[in-house]
Amino acid sequence: MIKALKYIIPLILAASIAFLGWQLYRYMLRPEDIEILPSKPGDVKEMARLCSMEIYNEVSVLDTVNYKVIFAVQKQSGSISFDMENLRIDDSGDTVKINLPREIVEVYESNEKNAWEVIDTKAIGPMAFLRSNKLSSAEENRVKSKIKAKAIRRLYSNGTVRQARKDAVENLNRLMEAAYRKPVMVTDPTPEGNSK
Amino acid sequence: MTKSRALHIILALPILFACSKKAAPDHTQLYEEIRHVNKMEFASMAVTKTVKTERTDWYKIGKRIAVYSFDTYLKAYIDLYQFEMEDMEFDEENKTVKVTLPPVNVEIAGRDMDMKKEYENVGMFRTEIDSKERAKMKEKASEDLKKELKGNPEYKQRLEDTARRKARSYFENLFKNAGYTAFIRFSDEITESGDFNIKNYD
Repeated sequence: MIKALKYIIPLILAASIAFLGWQLYRYMLRPEDIEILPSKPGDVKEMARLCSMEIYNEVSVLDTVNYKVIFAVQKQSGSISFDMENLRIDDSGDTVKINLPREIVEVYESNEKNAWEVIDTKAIGPMAFLRSNKLSSAEENRVKSKIKAKAIRRLYSNGTVRQARKDAVENLNRLMEAAYRKPVMVTDPTPEGNSK
Repeated sequence: MTKSRALHIILALPILFACSKKAAPDHTQLYEEIRHVNKMEFASMAVTKTVKTERTDWYKIGKRIAVYSFDTYLKAYIDLYQFEMEDMEFDEENKTVKVTLPPVNVEIAGRDMDMKKEYENVGMFRTEIDSKERAKMKEKASEDLKKELKGNPEYKQRLEDTARRKARSYFENLFKNAGYTAFIRFSDEITESGDFNIKNYD
């Protein structure tokens, strides 16, 4: 019996090592976990927009949702533009009168490398150590919609929109004066912008 | 004495030429105004990218699959700061102008901040998908889109065509207001002979 075991044990060990090696080999050769599906293009939208200002920001994000804290760094890109197609122009008199339209504020996550970098997440509050510190996709989306709203609010509060509108009035005034060959008066009914 | 006479003739030449025909209107202002506009956007398109993660092994109990999607926005614009005075050729007699606009550029304006959950099936005994993993998925999808855009000119072409059409009609109207019939072309459309590319007048 002992004689038989002398052969069986090394055999079992060798088989186990071979099995583990085979599994490791399979693990190394397994396909990538992440699969990217071919992209789907949407419709092409026609426009004529005067881009008054381009935005680039890098912000740190610290937020809490459902007793979970997330800390991340986000790169943002965007623009403040004006729709030139739907300008209200009154050229019946000696002076062409134009009202500056509502600004179009667009804030996106930049397409640069590591534009959304999650540094850490943690659970807080009572019995935090027993709960998951992982944010669900819905929770993360709630955080992101707050980031976007905050970024847009900041553009209004720090005067970026005001400056963009001021530049647009100047640009539009000069462009239309040259085009119409008569005095142009571009008025801005809301110099601070239309945040609502 | 001879030197001084020659100098007088040279100095008088511009005046002589200026008087010989009616002075053409100065279009410097119009040029300056167009150039001052800087960037004008004429077309945009959203491209949806979908990304899937699946970690299934025989020794693991339960599935772990998640599919998310998000949009990336492409914009076609003209940088009018590249516009030069020589890019406008006025014919005062016929009240026409040939305008060569800078080329249409396509850029990625940005992507959606959030990711839409298309599907999730994470078994009880499997680890949940966390924010870092989702960030990695988004990053890979964005890199893939950039490669796709470089390798497949279809999206760019569609955007460029629309933007050219729109820009053409916009500037034709602008010059119409100034009293000219404009013929618009783009600097990257000029044929070898330097003529207007007819196919762009469709």
